[in-house]
Amino acid sequence: MSAGTELDLVELTAGVVLACAVVTLWRRDLRALVAVLALQGVALAALAAVLALHTGDVGLGVVAGVVLLAKGLVIPNLLARVVRRDPGSRETTPLVNVPASLVAAAGLVIVAYLSAGRLTSLFPSPVTRLAPLGLATVLVGFFVLVTRRKAVSQIVGLLLVDNGVALVAFLLTAGVPLLVELGASFDVLLVVVVLQVLATSMRARFGHVDLDQLRELHD
Amino acid sequence: MSEAAYLIGLGAAGAAALLGATLPARRRVLGAALLSSAACVCAFLAAGQVLVSGHAWSAHSAEVLPLTGVSLSLDPLSALFVAAAAVVGLAASCYAIGYAAHSAPSRTATAMLPAFLGSLLLVPAASSVATFMVAWELMALTSLLLLLNEHRQRKEARDAAQWYAAMTHVGAAAILLGLLLLATHAGGQTFAAIAAHRGQLSVALRSAVFVLTLVGFASKAGAVPLHVWLPRAHPEAPSPVSALMSGAMVNLGIYGIIRVGEDLLGGGVLWWWLAVVALGVVSAVFGALHAAASADVKRLLAYSTVDNIGLILVGVGAAGALAVSGERLLAALALLAALFHLVNHALFKGCLFLGAGALQHATGTRDLDRLGGLARRMPVTAALFGIGALSISALPGFNGFASEWLLLESLLHGFADHTDATVVALLIGVAALAITGGLTAAAFVKALGVGFLGQPRTAGAASAREVAPSMLVGMALLAASCIALGIAPGVLLPVLERATASGLAVRPPSPLRAGLGLDLAGVSGAIEPALVVAGLLGALVLAWALVRLSARRSALRHARTAEAWGCGRELQTARMEVTATSFAEPLQRVFVDVLRPDHDLEVTHVAESRFFPQAISYQHRIDDGLERVLYRPVIDAVSAWGRLARRVPNGSVHRYLAFGFVALVLILVVLA
Repeated sequence: MSAGTELDLVELTAGVVLACAVVTLWRRDLRALVAVLALQGVALAALAAVLALHTGDVGLGVVAGVVLLAKGLVIPNLLARVVRRDPGSRETTPLVNVPASLVAAAGLVIVAYLSAGRLTSLFPSPVTRLAPLGLATVLVGFFVLVTRRKAVSQIVGLLLVDNGVALVAFLLTAGVPLLVELGASFDVLLVVVVLQVLATSMRARFGHVDLDQLRELHD
Repeated sequence: MSEAAYLIGLGAAGAAALLGATLPARRRVLGAALLSSAACVCAFLAAGQVLVSGHAWSAHSAEVLPLTGVSLSLDPLSALFVAAAAVVGLAASCYAIGYAAHSAPSRTATAMLPAFLGSLLLVPAASSVATFMVAWELMALTSLLLLLNEHRQRKEARDAAQWYAAMTHVGAAAILLGLLLLATHAGGQTFAAIAAHRGQLSVALRSAVFVLTLVGFASKAGAVPLHVWLPRAHPEAPSPVSALMSGAMVNLGIYGIIRVGEDLLGGGVLWWWLAVVALGVVSAVFGALHAAASADVKRLLAYSTVDNIGLILVGVGAAGALAVSGERLLAALALLAALFHLVNHALFKGCLFLGAGALQHATGTRDLDRLGGLARRMPVTAALFGIGALSISALPGFNGFASEWLLLESLLHGFADHTDATVVALLIGVAALAITGGLTAAAFVKALGVGFLGQPRTAGAASAREVAPSMLVGMALLAASCIALGIAPGVLLPVLERATASGLAVRPPSPLRAGLGLDLAGVSGAIEPALVVAGLLGALVLAWALVRLSARRSALRHARTAEAWGCGRELQTARMEVTATSFAEPLQRVFVDVLRPDHDLEVTHVAESRFFPQAISYQHRIDDGLERVLYRPVIDAVSAWGRLARRVPNGSVHRYLAFGFVALVLILVVLA
């Protein structure tokens, strides 16, 4: 594999990660959201794998495997299980509607590009120049957290943030140590399990998983 | 030797806290009390050795606190405060054994008392900014927890704790700011490094540091107008804690002012010390007035603490001002008088607070209007409380007299100073000393007369019994020290001289001649309390003998005897007696503009005629006027802000997330 192909692959996978994030703003069907998240996880793993091949770093290869397992398979499956219990559920009325969300996403990507300049200038290289993609993913994920009502959408938003952070880490440092990635993955897994339990008990107690209705719990 | 004893003392206090937290309920009070008594004895011996030999020591350990390490040092000034805290602590620990039988303190309270005691011993020995602040905050936290001991039963305790927490936090923040400012500019955080570099600091910077630390230390000392927590917190705390707070904790505020102003900043500018004198004068008069008007015995004692702290501040301020104008002898005399009064105040106020606790223990109330006749029911407590009251009223033969005499002498001799502002300040100080002397006497005549003499006003007072021996031993220790220092104040002078010398920036000549009494060197003035006491006792015996002799021959043989404070009537009922409120009424009338009492008089008439009242209810309370004027507006403004701010978080998770998101994007935009 030539260096040019590798760079192309890195650009492709990083682009897919951001595209997936934007797609979560567009789709309302929760099943679709989970599918998009799985795709994003696979893309992230692929990126790690390409970098591992390029550097010949075995540890990074294992990290790619962990990412594929956790973010591509286990977490989306857990989420799919939550969604399946509530078939046909959609993000019907987000706090910011879809077209406006997409425009906002464009704005966030610009902010990411503008502000990532300082990060990339630390060590300019073709790969680090892609760091704004990761930052943009973080911001879009945060935006999902702020504007979407369903508990599953919230989890998806949080995972987008996490994937974005991982993407920035891969691009800037050419791979994170295995221990760190293992720890982070385990953390995220735990958060997802907790949120899953929370969403289940919310449905049992309130009959819905709309976070905005929780306002009544305010003192 | 001294160092080892001191460290063993600290360790014992820590172990006592641990025992209090872990032992089963029946043993923990005794275990904690015995170990903390041992801690006090060790600390006292350590401090005593430094005071007697004059050799300071210092120690540093890098392990205990990360980054900065712990620096301890005991010079005679620190040692004096450690010794005072240790004596009061010993009495309070002893007292706490008997007190616990009545109040059943929680595990937390039992563990916190030795911890508080340990922090009181630690603060004066701290010799770096980090160590000092850690010890200071430890002291604040442990005392706050002790104050909250009865928060379930009493709303007032919660209120008091809130006030205390707020004031002590503001104070600690000011001190921290001041000391950090000092440490950054002096290029080191140990006190020795700061003192070595003080010459390079600008006057403006030094003044800023002094003002900041003065605010913090004055709020801990309870100087007006930062005193508002004190009359709330001291009454609400359990009595051994009140004794420690009033006898040892407020002293550390004074310690801070001397340590920073004289030792670290090197004396500074005249107006600093005039400000201290002003604080002292206002505190003394305001505290004495409120003490004279209070009917709650612990509140009375708390205000009297404000009063005495005021007098000590006058002495410290006078010493600073005189030192600035170069009168080293007079400065030493004034500081010595202030330190002497501080030690005496620790002794008699500790004794009085423990006595007030005994009253509360025996009768269930602190309200003087519900007491009475206790001298017959609890004679030992009455005698010990009486010794405390006589000491604080500065009667000859008791320690309060010795130190107030010395303070007065030092102020009067200070008139020789050539700076007009200083002379005026000292003049006002003398006036304050005079008026507070009278008001204090009135307050304690009231406490003693209404509380202990006459007839009991309530069933609680009538059924009072003498308290447990351990409580009496605690009080007796302090009362005995009051008498000893009152008769032979000279024994403490060498010790005080060493403390004064290490407290002042310039090394002073010795202001007093050695001896049993007080004999000023360099200026005229001497008194021998032992002789005064002997004379007074002789006169008493003579008068008694004369009366007895003449009684043999005259109608006095058939003299009736009646209750003291019973106005000579035989058919006296408790309702006919003077109450604390009525005793204070004339004073209140004179100072109505300062005290601003709230009266509420309701007369219900019988249905047939307006001329015959059926029932009269009279309510009367005196709130702290300064609190209303100075603190209410601030509190109102803060709570208005709070109400406004509460509208922002409305319970929506999305809104909370949006705050974070917007902040993040804004930061990114600003950085880009």
